[in-house]
Amino acid sequence: MKEPVVSIRTYTITWLALLILALATTLLGFLNLGPFSMGIAILIATAKAALVVAFFMHGRYESKLIHVIIAAGVIWFLIMISNTLGDYITRGRLPVPGK
Amino acid sequence: MSKLDEAFEVKPPEVLELREQFATPDQQRQTAMVGIWIFLITEVLLFGALFTAFTVYRLSDPQGFDLGSKDMDTVLGSVNTAVLICSSFTMALSVYFAELGKRKSLALFLILTMLIGTAFLAIKFTEYHSHWVDHKVPGLWFEDHSPHAAKIEMFFVFYFIMTGLHALHMTIGLGVLTVLLFRTAIGSITAEYHTPIEVGGLYWHFIDIVWIYLYAIFYIPGIHLK
Repeated sequence: MKEPVVSIRTYTITWLALLILALATTLLGFLNLGPFSMGIAILIATAKAALVVAFFMHGRYESKLIHVIIAAGVIWFLIMISNTLGDYITRGRLPVPGK
Repeated sequence: MSKLDEAFEVKPPEVLELREQFATPDQQRQTAMVGIWIFLITEVLLFGALFTAFTVYRLSDPQGFDLGSKDMDTVLGSVNTAVLICSSFTMALSVYFAELGKRKSLALFLILTMLIGTAFLAIKFTEYHSHWVDHKVPGLWFEDHSPHAAKIEMFFVFYFIMTGLHALHMTIGLGVLTVLLFRTAIGSITAEYHTPIEVGGLYWHFIDIVWIYLYAIFYIPGIHLK
């Protein structure tokens, strides 16, 4: 019989890390960090997502093909959000030819 | 045997392990993994579009959106985050026991995952109910007298669409787990063939990731205003 890909120990550590990071997100919310509060919350959320993908979803142990698919998803999402925001944030700041 | 019976016929594990179109069981598993991951990427884009729209609207009036976030129930939201993380943990253990071929433990952890998932939905709907009571349902029953009322209403539009779509995914996830539990019960999951559990697990973990982000954008920015 093959050994399971990830040990119970690793799962437990991941689980505890996720709970601690969730608690950290909540506690940071109580500090008024102004415009940074959302950014930090998103940053911690991304760390949590990375833990889930790497260990719970076995991402770390999968083939290169799966890694490429995961990377494609992240990159396409970043293209969508950066191009959209690139438009909205600069509206009214950059001159529009002919307007 | 009718066509319908054939479609629902449960084949023995030896047949499922290596279907005729594949050369090896490993190739069959890889194919399933590529399929579910590509599906999850399309889901990233589905939720991603909503996150993008949320960011665009939030940038137009961050203060208004923070005031909307102030109306969130921090305790219920935080408890729900912990609940969902626990359900991901039990799902991960289900996969662990599936890999070992321990049918009883697998079934136990699938049931636990479903129970915790149901608890999440119960807490979510308690929250929805309190929004209804507080007159915070855009379009149907919304009252707010702050100068930012229009943006707070917009915040709640995003809140209901995004958490609603998430709750729909949870409900579908519970359906998936029910099928997996049934397949475990009839013995079609073995140490050699447990791809369905892995695939279902990946979907469940993905829903967890979506919630991790929903928690960050809806519940956190307003906490310090309370």
